[in-house]
Amino acid sequence: MARMKFLCDADRCIECNACVTACKNEHEVPWGINRRRVVTINDGKPGERSISMACMHCTDAPCAAVCPVNCFYTTADAVVLHSKDLCIGCGYCFYACPFGAPQYPKVGNFGSRGKMDKCTYCAGGPEADGSKEEYEKYGANRLAEGKLPLCAEMCSTKSLLAGDGEIIAQIYKERVMKRGYGSGAWGWKTAYRETIES
Amino acid sequence: MVSFARFVRLAVGACALLLLIVAVPAPLGAQQVNPTASSVKEQQLLQELNRIQGRVSIPDQRSGVLEQPQGRQWREFHNVTLRWIGGIAIIGMLAVLVIFYLTRGMVRLESGRSGRTLVRFNVYERFVHWMTATCFIILAISGLNITFGRPLLLPLIGFENFSEWSLWAKYAHNYLSFPFTIGVVLILLMWIGGNIPNKVDVEWLKRGGGMIGHDHPPAYRFNAGQKAIYWIVVIGGGLVAASGYVLMFPFYTTGIEGMQLAQIVHSIVAVLFVAAMIAHIYIGTIGMEGAFEAMGTGEVDVNWAREHHSLWLDEQAARTGPNDGQPQPATAAAE
Amino acid sequence: MLIKRTHQHSPRQGSVVESLAGQAGGLDRRSFLRKSGVAGGALAALGTMPLGSVRKAEAANAGPLTAGATVRKSICTHCAVGCTVTAEVLNGVWIGQEPSWDSPINRGSHCAKGASVRELVHSERRLRYPMKLVGGQWTRVSWDTAINEIGDKLQAVREKSGPDSVYWLGSAKMTNEGAYLFRKLGAFWGTNNTDHQARICHSTTVTGVANTWGYGAMTNSYNDIRNAKTQVVLGGNPAEAHPVSLQHLLEGKELQKANFVVIDPRLTRTAAHATEYVRMRPGTDIPVLYGMMWHILQNGWEDKEFIRQRVYGFDDIKKEVEKWPPEEVERVTGIPGEQLKRVAKMFATEKPATLIWAMGQTQKTVGTANVRASCIALLMTGNVGKAGAGANIFRGHDNVQGATDVGLDIVTLPFYYGLAEGAWKHWSRVWEVDYDFLKSRFDSKQIMETPGIPLTRWFEAVTLPKDQVAQKDNVKAVFVQGHASNSITRIPESLNGLKALELLVIADPHPTTWASLAVEAGRKDGVYILPVATQFECKGSRVASNRSLQWGEQIVKPIFESKDDLEVIYLMAKKLGFADQMFKKIKVESNLPEAEDVLREMNRGSWSTGYCGQSPERLKAHMKNQAKFDMLTMRAPKDDPEVGGDYYGLPWPCWGSPEVKHPGTPLLYNTNLHVMDGGGTFRPRFGIEREEKLPDGTTRKVSLLADGSYSLGSGIQDGYPEFTLASLKKLGWGTELTESEMAVINKINPANPDTVSWALDLSGGIQRVALAHGCVPYGNGKARMNAFGLPDPIPVHREPIYTPRVDLVAKYPTLPDAKQFRMPNIGFSVQKAAVEKGIAKQFPLILSSGRLVEYEGGGEETRTNPWLAELQQDMFIEINPADAADRGVKDGGWVWVTGAENNSRARMKALVTERVGRGVAWMPFHFGGWLAGKDLRGNYPKGTDPIVLGESANTITTYGYDPATGMQEPKVTLCQIAAA
Repeated sequence: MARMKFLCDADRCIECNACVTACKNEHEVPWGINRRRVVTINDGKPGERSISMACMHCTDAPCAAVCPVNCFYTTADAVVLHSKDLCIGCGYCFYACPFGAPQYPKVGNFGSRGKMDKCTYCAGGPEADGSKEEYEKYGANRLAEGKLPLCAEMCSTKSLLAGDGEIIAQIYKERVMKRGYGSGAWGWKTAYRETIES
Repeated sequence: MVSFARFVRLAVGACALLLLIVAVPAPLGAQQVNPTASSVKEQQLLQELNRIQGRVSIPDQRSGVLEQPQGRQWREFHNVTLRWIGGIAIIGMLAVLVIFYLTRGMVRLESGRSGRTLVRFNVYERFVHWMTATCFIILAISGLNITFGRPLLLPLIGFENFSEWSLWAKYAHNYLSFPFTIGVVLILLMWIGGNIPNKVDVEWLKRGGGMIGHDHPPAYRFNAGQKAIYWIVVIGGGLVAASGYVLMFPFYTTGIEGMQLAQIVHSIVAVLFVAAMIAHIYIGTIGMEGAFEAMGTGEVDVNWAREHHSLWLDEQAARTGPNDGQPQPATAAAE
Repeated sequence: MLIKRTHQHSPRQGSVVESLAGQAGGLDRRSFLRKSGVAGGALAALGTMPLGSVRKAEAANAGPLTAGATVRKSICTHCAVGCTVTAEVLNGVWIGQEPSWDSPINRGSHCAKGASVRELVHSERRLRYPMKLVGGQWTRVSWDTAINEIGDKLQAVREKSGPDSVYWLGSAKMTNEGAYLFRKLGAFWGTNNTDHQARICHSTTVTGVANTWGYGAMTNSYNDIRNAKTQVVLGGNPAEAHPVSLQHLLEGKELQKANFVVIDPRLTRTAAHATEYVRMRPGTDIPVLYGMMWHILQNGWEDKEFIRQRVYGFDDIKKEVEKWPPEEVERVTGIPGEQLKRVAKMFATEKPATLIWAMGQTQKTVGTANVRASCIALLMTGNVGKAGAGANIFRGHDNVQGATDVGLDIVTLPFYYGLAEGAWKHWSRVWEVDYDFLKSRFDSKQIMETPGIPLTRWFEAVTLPKDQVAQKDNVKAVFVQGHASNSITRIPESLNGLKALELLVIADPHPTTWASLAVEAGRKDGVYILPVATQFECKGSRVASNRSLQWGEQIVKPIFESKDDLEVIYLMAKKLGFADQMFKKIKVESNLPEAEDVLREMNRGSWSTGYCGQSPERLKAHMKNQAKFDMLTMRAPKDDPEVGGDYYGLPWPCWGSPEVKHPGTPLLYNTNLHVMDGGGTFRPRFGIEREEKLPDGTTRKVSLLADGSYSLGSGIQDGYPEFTLASLKKLGWGTELTESEMAVINKINPANPDTVSWALDLSGGIQRVALAHGCVPYGNGKARMNAFGLPDPIPVHREPIYTPRVDLVAKYPTLPDAKQFRMPNIGFSVQKAAVEKGIAKQFPLILSSGRLVEYEGGGEETRTNPWLAELQQDMFIEINPADAADRGVKDGGWVWVTGAENNSRARMKALVTERVGRGVAWMPFHFGGWLAGKDLRGNYPKGTDPIVLGESANTITTYGYDPATGMQEPKVTLCQIAAA
């Protein structure tokens, strides 16, 4: 099976936020929950780069390791998902996540957090693929429909790549070779303990 | 030679000045950059700062942190270090107590019961103690569940049950933190008078608190051991409460490192606290004859007081006068 | 660990479907289909250019998938890139958006706005029903009541003050059909006061560029930029304003190892990807361009042969360029000579080079001159009419090019025919109405042929003394259909206009700032709001910036009580009593004119611009066959039965009748192609020769026709004038006209049919014959470096009205006061007064404005969309860290921004950033709903207020109008900032 990954080519990303709203659109993500976001480093200075970031679906995912109730699981496509039925909203995954991916709806009193929400790689959750329950809790399941995450599919400059790790690494490598520069596969070393040599 | 050094200093100074002048932004324009050639590099940023941070337009400014791999260290702490610390502290304490109990047994009232009692803790004090204690026990169990439940309890009861239990445990943990905190504050205020360490404590400690053999070192209302528990409760309780509230109101006061640090402080202090409280419970129950009554009925046997808190008994006697010798039959039932 | 249950066949049931379509559960939202065939093709494409996303062994190219759902395609309404939007519709509800892989323009991509357009037709905050202001309260009325009351009031205004007292403000959001009908409505009403957003975005481009080489549009296409070796962006930030275009720019930059130069006062998101970033002082585009040309001429880098064959007026430009040596350029612009030399060398020698611009050049008092200077730079280096070259002018709204083409404008009838008697007669023939009837609708023949009032100055047309407005009376009523008021400068003064109006009609999906400001101005009545559908609820054609026409389907029916633009126009025409005449040749069904039929009428009259070949049938075939068009050339294979040989969207000019099967013109003025393959020449639009005065006092006649240059396969191998019946006859080609064609021509001018030209010939015969001989119908002329007839025939640098460089005003003053477009333009007096009063000392920061990627235009629509609004929740001003430190301003802190006129002030957040240089501040222009620190949320009808409100940039902007078009100047003014 494929090993799904995300790769944001920072030399293409223009912070257009299409990935962000595509995600909102596809999954009807509520206000305040940002499954994906774009961060601009060195804003306004020469060398400025923007990077789109969401859950990277890490190898040996830290969120899964620290979860007190073990609500995470990894699919055959190596997508890291979780069960909202099991999640208790403790926030530990956020402390462990290197990418700030977990999001919590504010519910109840004081800082009390609801069930964690994060990027599903458009692969839904534990419920039956394409079921109403799955859509309501996790959003659409594009992977089951043979499609890839909408954020990457709609990326304005084809900066955000999604798909099998080897294939997107190949695409990126070819790009870098052709154009002669690249600022690396952001987050790969942290997420997958490997990077793309170019 | 000296003049050469001066020359160098001057030259360096001039260069620095020049740099400063150049660094001042030109009024408008005069910028020659090739942004592609000078783009930021991930690994370089990580090496420099161990995190990558930038600008986001959404109000949630912590989402401006793109990458912070130090979550790994926190994960290592949470999954490995903490479990070792907690395991050793709690199991170690239990083991020590078991061994102690087996070798020493219950500390008996050597002089037997006099039948006469005197008030050690009034209703208010006992209420505060038990409120705090109840909260503590629930907090401890629900807290330990977060760290140890997944390996120990989850396999026994399954995902759904464990999650359901953990969710309620979390609610309990959050809500009971308030009475617990109030309890700690009240304990601090109402007992601080008797818990300032003094010379007697040195003697008491030297004699090992009388634990070995049948010694009874003198003590005021609180002996050094009890003072230690008091300060553990006040300081430890203060720390878990403070760090706990930081965790409960996530990111109100601090960033991700602060949250991680708060969790580390909270969990270490908490497991040590739990270990200490196990010892406290032991001494207050099966560890010592006549001790539980102090918090149970609030009144202790005069002989118990004489053996464990001789100086306190003297104080009480001095205050209430000769009447203290009178038997107080009504309390006998409280045994 | 849990393991995911996997199902290969997986229906999806969206909660949306249930809640909106009222369906019980159990309906499959989508069922899984594997499209291995498509996947193969997609993978093959990997070799050349990576797709955005690839799944092992199967590209996610699966299109429409939901069982029972239909797929409808329309065009994104948020900029002029022209991205196809693919919608899945189930039971009348738009349930999902899928990537439009087949579109050669966006190839699946969207920006933040495009990826969230579905929300527009689900919005809870849209206007639901017509409303009117009664005693200061918004009150619901029926459509019938609204139309009746509005119509009666308009008639009353007409009787008292004449037809010119009603201002018809249309929209670049309308389809071609809507915009055309709106212009036609103005014509039948009897006024040229019909305008739309092009006035404030690219009116200067249209005027400046058309005056240079014939047509005022983007010469090449987004896709074609992939061929450029040098891309220069001067006055644009496409990364935020046209994000999907960056796909072509950046891939082109990578594949060609191209130079990507961004010259801008801000280090924009575009500049972040440049190979060279040049920071300039706002408002100095002409010195920058002349500075480049100085190096080009100094080093002999100009394209001498191109200039000789195809350019008029080179010597005049040379003289002007000599005034701009590097020292003077640096003094004025701040750009060091060496850097500009480097850029000039790339531009002139590493060809093809393209110049890209947007509102950075156009929104100035010197906007027309700016774009002229840009064209001149392109001409000097021979960078026009070739692949990878050209003036790539990025338009703003989805159909601003189209709305301009169809003449929703104050200076012309549809398709640039102008306002002269001949133009009116042409259109009366097309419309099959009496010319005299049209004339009778106007106050006079003279006013019928006089350009109207630009929308930038509508409020002055209301408030200025009557004798200063050159029409019968002041403007008394404004009917605005799809235009924001906060996009117009000088908001504090517009309040006076809002207050003084007798009637204000706002037809829009949202109440807009017209409504909130009208209430704020103190109005208690005389305001109507009509809910109009978004373009996703209408069908029709739209023109992308590259001149491609795309047919958008109706995705869902208009929601609530909204009506299609076309229906609103029809209802107004009916009420005003000329619907029968106006819709004589257009099918109307239950008050809704048929869009296809409107386009057919346009086809019949639009010979001048080559909109004649784009029949609705052809456009629909293009949308259906999108996948067949090549991404780089945009052409379909010649053997395709439906769209064979066509360029995508039949980019105008698409000559002749649809039967001629002209493929469209992907690159304007490209002599390397046969005209029937999209080739062309410069248009001799300004005579065929010109008398020039020589220094010795004598005169000589200089030809304005091309010299030895002609398009491939041309029957005339030299320059030639436009075709008329007479010229066809002279060439001996007259006999090729058919009898029926001759009959039409004879009917057009029975007295002198020889004068009937290619543009007036309703039979299309003259064009057909010219094309058959490989000739371009409009002729083959020279492009004009010297555009005689414009206020500045040779572009001249003129300091902005409000400039911090008062020392330069004496040498580079703005043009003298004059009367333009029925109104006085007192820019010179304002500039002079500003210098004398020392305004630059009080307001030392240059204030510029621009676009954010999340919002569009006045922004009410996008600020109402929660998916977008969440991303930009506060109005802000960018300020340099040094300027911020001087003022104690903190990043994210509140500040007061004060402006140079009207004691204007606005409260917003500070964004302290090095994006802007020292002495420059910048604001986004999409916010509205606050005024001088006051939140106007309560002024909106209940439940229709946008989620995000904020101060409008135009509260602070100031006086300044381009003399040739009435363009406003929101890109350069002065301000002061203080911590709040």
